[in-house]
Amino acid sequence: MAIGYSIILGVVGLVTFVHGEVIVYGAFTGFYTLLLSRGNVALALLAGFAASWILGVVVNKICYQPFQQRGREVALIATIGLSITLRSSAQVLFGTQQKFMPDMFQNRFFALGDIRIAYTQVFVFAVVFGLCLLLQRIITKTYFGMALRAVSMNKKAAALLGLDVNRAILLGNALACGLGGISGVLLGMYYNAIHPLMGASMAMKAFTATVFGGLGSITGAAIGGFLLGIFENFAVAMLSSGYRDIVAFLILIAVLIAKPSGIMGRRGVELS
Amino acid sequence: MALKGVNIEVHEKEIVTLIGSNGAGKTTTLMGISNLIRKRSGRITFYDWDITNEKPHRIVQMGLCHVPEGRQIFPYLTVEENLRMGVFGNYHLRNKRRVLEESLEQVYMLFPILRERRKQLGGTLSGGEQQMLAIGRGLMLQPKLMMLDEPSLGLAPVIVEQIFELLLRIREMGTTILLIEQNANMALQIADRGYVLELGQIVLSGKAKDLAFDSRVKSAYLGLSC
Repeated sequence: MAIGYSIILGVVGLVTFVHGEVIVYGAFTGFYTLLLSRGNVALALLAGFAASWILGVVVNKICYQPFQQRGREVALIATIGLSITLRSSAQVLFGTQQKFMPDMFQNRFFALGDIRIAYTQVFVFAVVFGLCLLLQRIITKTYFGMALRAVSMNKKAAALLGLDVNRAILLGNALACGLGGISGVLLGMYYNAIHPLMGASMAMKAFTATVFGGLGSITGAAIGGFLLGIFENFAVAMLSSGYRDIVAFLILIAVLIAKPSGIMGRRGVELS
Repeated sequence: MALKGVNIEVHEKEIVTLIGSNGAGKTTTLMGISNLIRKRSGRITFYDWDITNEKPHRIVQMGLCHVPEGRQIFPYLTVEENLRMGVFGNYHLRNKRRVLEESLEQVYMLFPILRERRKQLGGTLSGGEQQMLAIGRGLMLQPKLMMLDEPSLGLAPVIVEQIFELLLRIREMGTTILLIEQNANMALQIADRGYVLELGQIVLSGKAKDLAFDSRVKSAYLGLSC
């Protein structure tokens, strides 16, 4: 999820406020697919990806393309508006109740000494890890990935090399949202539950992880997310579970004050 | 910057230069051709195509390459990646590995220094090397016409001379060149013809040799009094 954030930020050059809702829609699509297909997880992940991909295209058409010649803050505010619209529609569409995600491993776990590890956790981790590797390959080896990197570094130069910048932005954003959809489904599996309003806090956490790792850096986002998770769980273990979110946002503030460029961030990256 | 009545013609295998002082509208002219800015009126044709309102990336794909002012290389990509980026505009090239490698080889032949530095990040190169990289990246497209915006900007005179000699070699290889320069003296030395732009209008044009000896050009741009 943080990785999706990072791509959007890098390629579109924009902080988006709609990512949380993209995740929610992906999660619910995955949830219904899971019910309809009687627990076909692969299909659910794929459906979550597809739904969010499409949503990504919509976001692009509504929030980014019309305001390209305007300041970045215009598009930013447009994403806030769209996010509110989508959040409210989600409550109408999916109901305001929390939905319980069936666990494909029937809550089985294996024990490693004193530590219990659920199969679901292993599965989620494996999928995320696999996606990271895949993404890394796409970004560094394919023309699409090169195009994304070119656009993120220098839009003007990319256009002068014959690259369709708008198309790259569209596809990059769609890809990022698609990944958000997958992460939504995975989150649902991890917590066994999804809720139409879970997007906001998720998005803030993803944002924190992204800032922590360094804005626009994909590796950084992965590391940031990982570290954030560790810190949060330490807080839960040492204080109480109520402190989980506090720790996340304390980290955000601390990073912004101490090292705004994050762990892997480049100094003075210009996002224009 | 507003342009008015700018009429430029570039023939095949020519080096044409557009000179003028700071703020005369040189870069604006190029941006207009590449369609990076909106034009209120006028017409631009490239061979038989009307490219006045063509999308920027399509123009590049037709073989009209624009090496922008300030080089605009990708600082966090290696030299070789930067060069490979150059073939985005050319679908034929980017899908044919052999042709791509040939293109790369050709660029390395012209700029041996780039071969030496091919694993280095673009941002770590010196100004002159970055300019060579920008030109090399443009050449990867095997363009018919190459437009260069102030390649001498911020470079030591020795380096500028090197780059201009390379431009002559690039022309020999069959690429037409439209060179935008503030350094009129150097530009007129290698160009066949030239245009002088002043406050958005062409005030003089003709053979480069004649322009170099024109008293108005001399006093205004070459820093010589007569």
